[in-house]
Amino acid sequence: MLFKTSLVLAAGLLAASAALAQAVVGQPAPAFTATDASGKAVSLADFKGKHVVLEWVNPGCPFVVKHYASGNMQATQKDSTSKGVVWLAVNSTASDHQDYKAPSAMAGWMQQQKAGATATLMDADGKVGRAYGARTTPHMYVINASGTLVYAGAIDDKPTASQADIPGSRNHVKAALAESLAGKPVSMASTRPYGCSVKYNAG
Amino acid sequence: MSSSIFRAFLFASGTVLAAQASAANPAVVVTPQVRAELVAHAPQGVQPGQPLWLGLKIEHQPHWHTYWKNPGDSGLPTTLAWTLPAGFAAGEIGWPTPKRLPLGPLTNFGFEGTLLLPVAVTVPAGFDGNELKVRLRADWLVCKDVCIPEGGDFALTVPARASTVTAASDFDGVASLAPLKLEAARATAAVEGDVLVVRVNGLPAGWQGRALAFFPETPGVIQNAAEPEQRWDGGDWSARVPLDIQRTESPTAMPAVLAAPGVSAAPIGVALQVAVTTPWPATTPAAAPAPALGNAEVQPAGSAGSGGVGLGLALLLALAGGALLNLMPCVFPVLALKVLGFAHHGGDRRRLLVGGLAYTAGVVLSFVALAALLLALRAGGEQLGWGFQLQQPAVVALLAALFTLIALNLAGVFEIGSVLPSSVETARARNPVLDSVLTGVLAVAVASPCTAPFMGASLGLAVTLPAAQALLVFAALGLGMALPYLVICAWPGLARRLPRPGAWMAHFKTLMAFPMLATVVWLVWVLGVQAGIDAAAALLAVLLALSFVAWALGSPSLGMWARRAFGAVSLLLLAVALTWATPSWRQEAVAANAADRGTVPGTDRWQPWSPDRVQQALAAGQPVFVDFTAAWCVTCQFNKRSTLADASVLAAMDGKRVLLLRADWTRRDAVIAAELSRLGRSGVPVYALYVPGQASPQLLPEILSVEGVRAALAQLPS
Repeated sequence: MLFKTSLVLAAGLLAASAALAQAVVGQPAPAFTATDASGKAVSLADFKGKHVVLEWVNPGCPFVVKHYASGNMQATQKDSTSKGVVWLAVNSTASDHQDYKAPSAMAGWMQQQKAGATATLMDADGKVGRAYGARTTPHMYVINASGTLVYAGAIDDKPTASQADIPGSRNHVKAALAESLAGKPVSMASTRPYGCSVKYNAG
Repeated sequence: MSSSIFRAFLFASGTVLAAQASAANPAVVVTPQVRAELVAHAPQGVQPGQPLWLGLKIEHQPHWHTYWKNPGDSGLPTTLAWTLPAGFAAGEIGWPTPKRLPLGPLTNFGFEGTLLLPVAVTVPAGFDGNELKVRLRADWLVCKDVCIPEGGDFALTVPARASTVTAASDFDGVASLAPLKLEAARATAAVEGDVLVVRVNGLPAGWQGRALAFFPETPGVIQNAAEPEQRWDGGDWSARVPLDIQRTESPTAMPAVLAAPGVSAAPIGVALQVAVTTPWPATTPAAAPAPALGNAEVQPAGSAGSGGVGLGLALLLALAGGALLNLMPCVFPVLALKVLGFAHHGGDRRRLLVGGLAYTAGVVLSFVALAALLLALRAGGEQLGWGFQLQQPAVVALLAALFTLIALNLAGVFEIGSVLPSSVETARARNPVLDSVLTGVLAVAVASPCTAPFMGASLGLAVTLPAAQALLVFAALGLGMALPYLVICAWPGLARRLPRPGAWMAHFKTLMAFPMLATVVWLVWVLGVQAGIDAAAALLAVLLALSFVAWALGSPSLGMWARRAFGAVSLLLLAVALTWATPSWRQEAVAANAADRGTVPGTDRWQPWSPDRVQQALAAGQPVFVDFTAAWCVTCQFNKRSTLADASVLAAMDGKRVLLLRADWTRRDAVIAAELSRLGRSGVPVYALYVPGQASPQLLPEILSVEGVRAALAQLPS
């Protein structure tokens, strides 16, 4: 019989904030409450019965700039809100990070970009981001009217920082909304998001 | 402050920060974050047949990093787009072993410090120019706590007849930094709930006991930030890697890199092909839409099974398949002997029926037990399919010894009564029910590797079914096998038609020894294929010694002293033979033998199978015929020597330019097992015809006929 020397190395410490584990496509979307850029409290429960899109944003990220400078993100936002969809932009940048924008500055930037978001949520402690497992900016989530997460992933299928790639790309959010609003299951329900990492705080 | 406004301005205008190559040196691009240089290594100049390497050398400012081919939770890999003269082909980037770059709750995979991304370039045969002009467009995402997409256009001229070795020290380091492809390394993974259990063996000896880092090349599968629990069991490393809950990929074969951070001697990384043995759980699509929009339509979750065979049909097929097993040359002698027993108990109907039921019970329980073992081991992540018993030479040797003993007993060399102590002997006689049960178990042990026709789909499906249903299918298999015998027991009218006991019984008994010995010949051959001619000869020696022991201890004609004397000598000889033989039957010896046999150069029509070869051929528009076979599979050998050797079949294959590949499963192979599972089968033979343009291959029946194969080939375009 062979000898079996077992050396058990337990290096099993998961990353400190392993709460990046709650939003699963096909399951109810995690509930949250956050403050928007004007200081008002906003909860997911406020929008029961409506489709909700969550967009993780960071003005300092070249990939976010790709979609805003080209007007792509604003067009998607307006197209969605005109169909009765609620669009929530979420900024989970930590307050001590270089890219941090105070609520008023953030609101100013969104206005300057002529964004069509219903509200901009300030999530500097990263709670909403961690609940949804948001990894990149942009990272998009679509929640249907019954509160189920029906899409999570990238805004489109061209993972580059170049605006030239937008015209030929498939806008996953538009497609997911079109299918979900028509009562059909979302065909590409989960895609790999691309962008800069979300600048979470250390805690 | 001003720098961020400047940056914001650049971003607002939507341009990627493309630094200009300095006029002084078009091969170098410098940005505030990196210095990138296009380098070449051509020790013999640019000549056909000589090695030529190009590469992008990136020196990062402290704390800045670029990304690996799987960037991790965010980021983009560096891309290289070459402009080379006609005929030159640049290969894939030879990525060095990456590093984990944690960033809060996220993790990326990439590089810091000095990085060289080498690319091998093939020089066309007729090249006789004076120099090679290379242009490169490279794009990279460099990040610290902010990310900046950068890129550059590089140009370099490499002289053809002079040696270019200025970057020699950089390229020399490449071999030790790139992940090593280890032939002996084997990696498998199994999905267990929300964890991927990865098992690797054959890693460098110096790595044992170290904590390793697992980098899959396929993004979107695992949780990159998690540090998985890992352990070493001797030379086997295993880890429980949490899956990404927003997983987007379900690969059956996942290339990956395993690294040993902190190890001082090369290699620091190993390249692996991880074969995923279990089906991936389906990602459930969205459920009901908003109530306001009307009726909900709940889509069922996708099934992980294959072949569309319902459970009822599978049971029916299993029953038929089991009945057919009785005709296999390895089973028939045992069965015939049991029928022979009828002649003894000719008048007692009840005893017959009880015997029949006991045999059925023995057979069904054995199948179910084997199935339970198979399922348990499969759940444990081993690469096993039906027939696994004969993949280990030790098991083959044991079966050969068993059959030899049975043959000798049948031929009258020894009597069981004399060998076994009288208590066991009378127990046997007193309990013929137990005897029947054990005969059933023996029959199953022999028949299992021969998957008869109709059984292939049932077995493949059964392994993907939930445990209870799978056990049911295997039980049906057992029932089918025991059915003919049970029928004769239940309607002894049939048994009464058998001839009366007489001298012919002794002759018949001895006659049955010969099919037994034929099975031994086959097993010796299987062992020879698995472990080499030396191991086969060793087995023969052991069988000889065993025969001597059996005669010495069990022959009814020897006296007490003769029995003791010969008994002692024969046992000694057996011990010597076993000591000599057993090392050659161990699994490592099998591996060594396979390595020795090596690859037979191209006179053989059949080439070794690999998933890449299939894909390459299909991409080139060539149909592929794959023969999944094993030395211990009787049906496979039969087909190999009959239909697959038929001249008209081979001519048809050549006419349609079919690529013939053979996947040999004689010894354990994780990749083949994974592929069989993907095709919905769990045993061999499997004959798959891949046609370019068709998504899934056409599976031919397990017993091939010349007409059937030619008909399948006729559908192919010429």
